[in-house]
Amino acid sequence: MSAEPINMADRIELRRFVGRELLLWLWLETELFEATLATKEHGSFGLWLEGRLVLNEGQESTIIKGSAPGMNREAKEALLRGKMPDRAGLHLSFGDHECTLTLRGETLAFAGLVPPRKQKEEEAPPLDAPPARRKKKQSDAGANDLAHEAFYDRMHFARDVEGLTTALYRDFLAVRLSPAWDSHVVPALEKWVAGKEVDVERYRAARDKVVRSKRG
Amino acid sequence: MPALRGSLTYSRFFVSGDLPDDFRERFMRAIRLRSMKPLEPDEEELERSGWAKLGEPFVVDLAYDDVFFNEYVVLGFRTDRWVIPGPVLRTRVKEAEAAYLEKKGRERLSKKEKAELKLMVSKKLRRHLAPATRSVDLSWAIGEGVVRFFSHSQKPAAAMMELFKKTFGLELVPESPYTAASRLGLSKDQEKAWHDLEMTYLASSPKRSLLDEAAEEEE
Repeated sequence: MSAEPINMADRIELRRFVGRELLLWLWLETELFEATLATKEHGSFGLWLEGRLVLNEGQESTIIKGSAPGMNREAKEALLRGKMPDRAGLHLSFGDHECTLTLRGETLAFAGLVPPRKQKEEEAPPLDAPPARRKKKQSDAGANDLAHEAFYDRMHFARDVEGLTTALYRDFLAVRLSPAWDSHVVPALEKWVAGKEVDVERYRAARDKVVRSKRG
Repeated sequence: MPALRGSLTYSRFFVSGDLPDDFRERFMRAIRLRSMKPLEPDEEELERSGWAKLGEPFVVDLAYDDVFFNEYVVLGFRTDRWVIPGPVLRTRVKEAEAAYLEKKGRERLSKKEKAELKLMVSKKLRRHLAPATRSVDLSWAIGEGVVRFFSHSQKPAAAMMELFKKTFGLELVPESPYTAASRLGLSKDQEKAWHDLEMTYLASSPKRSLLDEAAEEEE
């Protein structure tokens, strides 16, 4: 991507819409594949839209909230009026992780990603036995260690989720930048958004072929 | 303190450039040099940013252990800004202008005098106020070359990128669909397709272009 004689900031701005299309594609696939997606690195995992879905075009926005905002007819109607997803609440269930987050299309940034609580955090302290007193210095050092440990856990968790979204973006790009986008994905999107039946197996075969070929 | 507790809301930035061999010592010196210097009422500056301790914005005397968490650099990006309530400032300025006119025995003030009086009143008011402080957590995973900045706002992000460059001598590139695609690496065919990409529209009637509208208006 170095042939364009334009600067980095322009290149970033001109392709922000690709992130919105990623959200649209994820929305489509979560519905077609009944919330079970897969990547090479992660195998099968659960992913569905949950919480809040924001679609817009210019200054006009449609915000849909609920346990399955993508299934709402208003959401599809917003697409038919030319709006595109701007941010989507996602529920992820992969490996040992179960979490929700909001993914922003134009920046691929996360919001409200809730890390899993550690078991020791969940356990209530015993009421009948006060903790043994420690010297202040030891106590400070202990608290510091715990804070560091919590920080590392949170960052590792964030990195795991980033790894998953990056793998999804890679697969999306494989499809988006192939002829299969126009020949299979756009027709599927048009049927899906109109509430018509999509030949899921045909769609799956076409997208898997492209994704597999790009994974190498 | 989103880096340390609660849900995680952040933007990612990728570090462009190589680290020097002695980066820990160098960075520590550079961070101390650019640590937050609180605003003083008599200064001209209305806003200033600097580094603070992660999660403790008022700790600006930073020790090595405050900054380096193993393979991470962790900091608070603190910004102080004088915020004087508009009505208070207007009232005090009017009072000062009236007193000045009476003292000079005049009926009007020049533009310059008005500006000077406003500045004088602002400085006086600042002595009775504390600047508004905002701090955003930042974690830099050195091995990954990724900075996680715990805000989605553009203004603090732009100011942070500038301070980051001044401090570490390294550029930050914000994450976006374009940068993520670049990092993933595209084949030649994909690059061509990327170059020619046009947004997919599902609108039931195709969007009218501005050119179409202009042509209709001319008719």
